[in-house]
Amino acid sequence: MKPWEGIRLALKQVVTHKLKSFFSLIGIIIGITFLIAVITLVEGMNRYIQEDFGGSIAGVNTFNVMQRSNVIMGLESIRERRRDARNPLLDMRDVEVVQGAVPNALYLAYSSDRRVPEVRHGQLSRRNARVLGGSEEYLALQGWKIDVGRGLTPVDHSRALKVAVIGTDIVERLFPTTSPLGQSIRVGAHRFDVIGVFEPQGGLLGSIRDATIYVPFSTYEQTLATRREPVEEINVKVRRADELDAAIQETDGALRADRGLRPRERSNFHIQTSGGILSAWNTVNRILMTALPGLVSVALVVGGIVIMNIMLLSVMERTREIGVRKAVGARQRDVLLQFLTEAATISTLGAGLGIAAGLGLASLVATLTPVPASVSEWSLGIALALGLVVGIASGIYPAYRASRLDPIVALRYE
Amino acid sequence: MEERQDAIIKTHGLKKDYYMGAETVHALRGVDLTIARNAYVAVMGPSGSGKSTLMNLIGCLDTPTAGEYVLNEQPVQNLEDDELARIRNREIGFVFQTFNLLPRATALHNVELPLIYAGTGSKERQERAAHALELVALADRMDHKPNELSGGQRQRVAIARALVNDPSILLADEPTGNLDSSTSSEIMDVLDGLHAGGQTIIMVTHEYDIAVHASRVITIIDGMIGSADADLKAVLAH
Repeated sequence: MKPWEGIRLALKQVVTHKLKSFFSLIGIIIGITFLIAVITLVEGMNRYIQEDFGGSIAGVNTFNVMQRSNVIMGLESIRERRRDARNPLLDMRDVEVVQGAVPNALYLAYSSDRRVPEVRHGQLSRRNARVLGGSEEYLALQGWKIDVGRGLTPVDHSRALKVAVIGTDIVERLFPTTSPLGQSIRVGAHRFDVIGVFEPQGGLLGSIRDATIYVPFSTYEQTLATRREPVEEINVKVRRADELDAAIQETDGALRADRGLRPRERSNFHIQTSGGILSAWNTVNRILMTALPGLVSVALVVGGIVIMNIMLLSVMERTREIGVRKAVGARQRDVLLQFLTEAATISTLGAGLGIAAGLGLASLVATLTPVPASVSEWSLGIALALGLVVGIASGIYPAYRASRLDPIVALRYE
Repeated sequence: MEERQDAIIKTHGLKKDYYMGAETVHALRGVDLTIARNAYVAVMGPSGSGKSTLMNLIGCLDTPTAGEYVLNEQPVQNLEDDELARIRNREIGFVFQTFNLLPRATALHNVELPLIYAGTGSKERQERAAHALELVALADRMDHKPNELSGGQRQRVAIARALVNDPSILLADEPTGNLDSSTSSEIMDVLDGLHAGGQTIIMVTHEYDIAVHASRVITIIDGMIGSADADLKAVLAH
């Protein structure tokens, strides 16, 4: 008997026993659904981080000096975080130290930001915005582009003018029909003239920028800053990737020296690189990818056992059929292959259903949350292969039992 | 009816023992039997006589404990399971009391079954299966499933399945056992017609009015041939 005959026969079995087939496949379906959904979302995050993240938070060839890390991956202990919270705040003196440490940086900027509960224009308002004060080179360093109007000029900075470049989310809310240019917005007691609008960013982290009101650092300092020395981040961008490590080391050394830290004392500041964020994500990624095979295996083993039982039942129910097939000339091998093919076919079918459900689940998550989804072909291949393997593994014993039936006994089976 | 005299079946000292725990049951105690090509034979005997065992051996569903069996000039007593399957596929067409059709398959597919295991291509298979169904006057029921057919029609599908591989012998085990008398005679007409066309037929029956269709009656008693060439009248008188 040719293999495709077996597959056709198996599909016929599935069609005639739809409900039974579905229940026998539920373990496989759940396992594969989970596998595909997780891989698709993790791959989505990976691609997002590799393609967009680098440019948006901590750009290429860039490092940031901060009071403490703002990326929480749940890996540091609470005590560590509490200790870092006592690090001294950054101030203009630190900016000067960093400037001294990397004199030939491409850009050097410093910034500070604050969430504000509301921003208004006339009767219209938007809740939850972010006012960001950045120094002169901040926009160039971040690579943020202006869509409409203009960016901040040195004069805006030096005179601490109350001007702002705003993100598209703010425009949508406050200026639904008119151009925002030349209009003013109100944050608390302060008014800012809108001089430009950022290009929309979209995406997972871009939405933060889209809700940003960007003002000169000097202006920010005089209006909304709450701390005495409000530098939150010092950003440095070097010209070439191979200069990055040396620049970080220089900065680290200069800051330690300035703060009078002894050689073995821990640094009371944090230097963050895009590589650091990537490695934090990679840790999460690795944990997921380590746990995933275990979880999926459990589902697949359970699914395989269910299939095996259903197949054993099916062999019993079809004892007479097996007898007839043997009487008319089926060899042991033919019967073995028939049932193996059947198990492999329905199980691969289950994997197919699992793939569909997993992709559906992933796209649902991608629609409802900012987490992106990215389908990777290899995961589909693996899922189908797993279905096939589980089918064959769970089909071997029932198929063997079927192939060894004595035709005389099988024909008389009631 | 003229019968060619060369033997299609020849057994010598055929024995079959079954072991039930410590006890040995001698189901067949040495059967010497010759059946000519184109014979129409009825095998009769009380239950427990060993006639089923003999039919299983003749049908190559089982191998003898001792003795020789030559089927269509091939000794088959020592063959392995898979070789026996090949012999069954090529040489023997089975007709069972309970029809034994695949319930979810159409008449055509049921008849195709032996050809699938013979490795016949799908187009030729369908043609030959359709032809076999025509032989039993079921050309218009090819796409029907067994539960859409009457008992007589089901048995005719089974006969078509038995014939489709052009077997040396048609082995019918109580072919009318599950049928009423008018349907029985319908089935016997089909078998008589096949025999007239040259088909060797061996059937097991316990009904005299069925056995009377055969040209030769063999009786089995206690694992031995009671009478190998009984005149049916004498059997009836017995």
